[in-house]
Amino acid sequence: MAGPKPLRILLIEDDAETADYVMAGLRESGHNIAVARDGRDGLFQATGQDWDLLLVDRMLPGLDGMTLVRTLRAGGIETPILFLTTLGGIDDRVNGLNAGADDYLVKPFAFSELAARVTALGRRPRRTAAETVLRVADLEMDLLARSVHRAGQAIELQPREFRLLEFLMRHAGEVVTRTMLLEQVWDLDFDPHTNVVESHISRLRGKVDKGHAASLIQTLRGAGYSLREAMP
Amino acid sequence: MNLRRLVRTSSFRLTLLYAALTGASFLVLFVTVFWSTTSFMQHQIDITVAAEIKEVHTAAVDDSTDSLRRAIESSTKQAGGFYYLLQDRDGRVLAGDLPPLEPVIGVREWLEPQRLPRYPKTDIRGSGEATADGGYLFVGTSAHEVHELRESVAQSFLWGVGAAMLLVLAGGALMSAAVLRRIEAVSQTSRDIVAGDLQRRIPLNGSGDEFDHLADSLNAMLDRIGVLMEGLRQVSTDIAHDLRTPLTRLRQRLELAQQRAPDAAALHATITATLVDIDAILQTFGALLRIAQIESGARKASFRTVDLSELLHTVAEIYQPAIEEKSQTLRADIATGLSVHGDRELLTQLFANLVENASRHCDAGARIALGAHRRGDAIEVVVADNGRGIPVELREKVLQRFVRLDASRTTPGNGLGLALAHAVTTLHDADLQLGDNAPGLRVSVRFAAA
Repeated sequence: MAGPKPLRILLIEDDAETADYVMAGLRESGHNIAVARDGRDGLFQATGQDWDLLLVDRMLPGLDGMTLVRTLRAGGIETPILFLTTLGGIDDRVNGLNAGADDYLVKPFAFSELAARVTALGRRPRRTAAETVLRVADLEMDLLARSVHRAGQAIELQPREFRLLEFLMRHAGEVVTRTMLLEQVWDLDFDPHTNVVESHISRLRGKVDKGHAASLIQTLRGAGYSLREAMP
Repeated sequence: MNLRRLVRTSSFRLTLLYAALTGASFLVLFVTVFWSTTSFMQHQIDITVAAEIKEVHTAAVDDSTDSLRRAIESSTKQAGGFYYLLQDRDGRVLAGDLPPLEPVIGVREWLEPQRLPRYPKTDIRGSGEATADGGYLFVGTSAHEVHELRESVAQSFLWGVGAAMLLVLAGGALMSAAVLRRIEAVSQTSRDIVAGDLQRRIPLNGSGDEFDHLADSLNAMLDRIGVLMEGLRQVSTDIAHDLRTPLTRLRQRLELAQQRAPDAAALHATITATLVDIDAILQTFGALLRIAQIESGARKASFRTVDLSELLHTVAEIYQPAIEEKSQTLRADIATGLSVHGDRELLTQLFANLVENASRHCDAGARIALGAHRRGDAIEVVVADNGRGIPVELREKVLQRFVRLDASRTTPGNGLGLALAHAVTTLHDADLQLGDNAPGLRVSVRFAAA
């Protein structure tokens, strides 16, 4: 993979094994990563240096993750935060987002899921002027007119298909996982067992890629999807 | 119940405060009564004395000392209950039955140290005036009654206060004891529960008083905790029951891979298959926890009005492509403007589960219908298919955890879909019914009027 731009990431996680696993994986992806072992140290490091992304565990000794996030946000620190919750804490998800986290991930997670979310968050522009036109190769989306063209040809999309394509285009070149799509496009916080996402993608592909030499919507087996020109 | 505990109760402390207040108000009352009665009597004495002085002046022919002396001498002899004194400017006694006095003009009262001849008690109150030639005339009478009245008022006050205090304290002690007994019942029950007797509840005396209310609330809380604990126990049992099998399989596969020392490709395949299995286990685990959480009722706190029509349209839209890929059809017939009080996420999952269930258990070509309509005050959502359906005798059973019909053993799923649906409908006080669509299954969810 042509690695994404390296990010400075602070992982606040008390479990050594999880921390090592995450750290090794993210280093391999080319990111710079530091670890804080408890909430207080995490808060200290998070405020002391400039980071591109914070990974915050829900359960931390010293200062729990929720309070940590709230404290950081109250202190005006806008660094994107990915909240790591456990399987049991179903309400943690909502509470974490309310506290000011930008995204959440339920442990245990697949590393590909974490990597995709880290890339998405790390790239998130910090309050730039709203874009009105998205472009990927010869695909163009006008957010104001809500129209889509490929190589100058208009494509008719249902509202939800439009949202799906918009999400893919905003994350062009990155890996977008099934769960990210379920959450962001359909607001689903649970994973339906049937191939809901697959069928929507294949419909969208039928509209966007059909009749074009280069397909833009790529399926990455076991990881998710990506919108980009296929590597020749 | 010992005395020390009684004295330390808050109601007894309140009693003490009350006693102090009562005492203070008694004191105010006493001072008022004491002052008003004695001053009234003193006033009476002063009037009598003034009248007697006038009498003396009338009896005397003129204001000369001589005339006064004669008048006083005759008055003294009459013994009318008065004391008299007439002295010249040098303080010599000219007439009367009192010892010489400092010539003080106006009302005076004192305790005469000498025993006087006619009257045993010697509190004297009277009025003095200067005579025409610079002498001093005093007429007084016994103030003994005032003194006695004072004493008797003070005495009755002391007795009264004493008795009142005793009553207040005794009443307070009784009251505190009664309160303490009720509290003790609560404490005892709590201790029993802590000691492991989880079925214990605080006794009510049926009077409907504040203690009954408290006991009622505490009992309700205990019941609630009981339900939660039961849920937890259920989850543990379920995990033990259903996760053991896949975990055992997993272990066997890994063991086999280890023993056979396969090539890299086979090892990779084993790992991939293992990850798929682990994900399935985690999903089951998550679903169990979710059901337990839903059954705990905690989500009820965040209920709000949910646009059911829009929610169902979204569900239909989400599943449409997947269902069509299986060559099935999904027809949505949803009335507009339906709304219920509930949890948006859970309701989405409920109907998603039902639609998914219908699709999964039906073959290609099946027709699935998602309908929602008003039925009087209630709202009914129906998910119907024309597949195999569920036999009548098993319809109750499939709502339980991990129950899967033999016919569906081969289809994917963890046997928790309908159990979760059941938990969500129960949380929403909705009625979940499995019926016959002849052929097929007809699941109806009926929400009572909001």
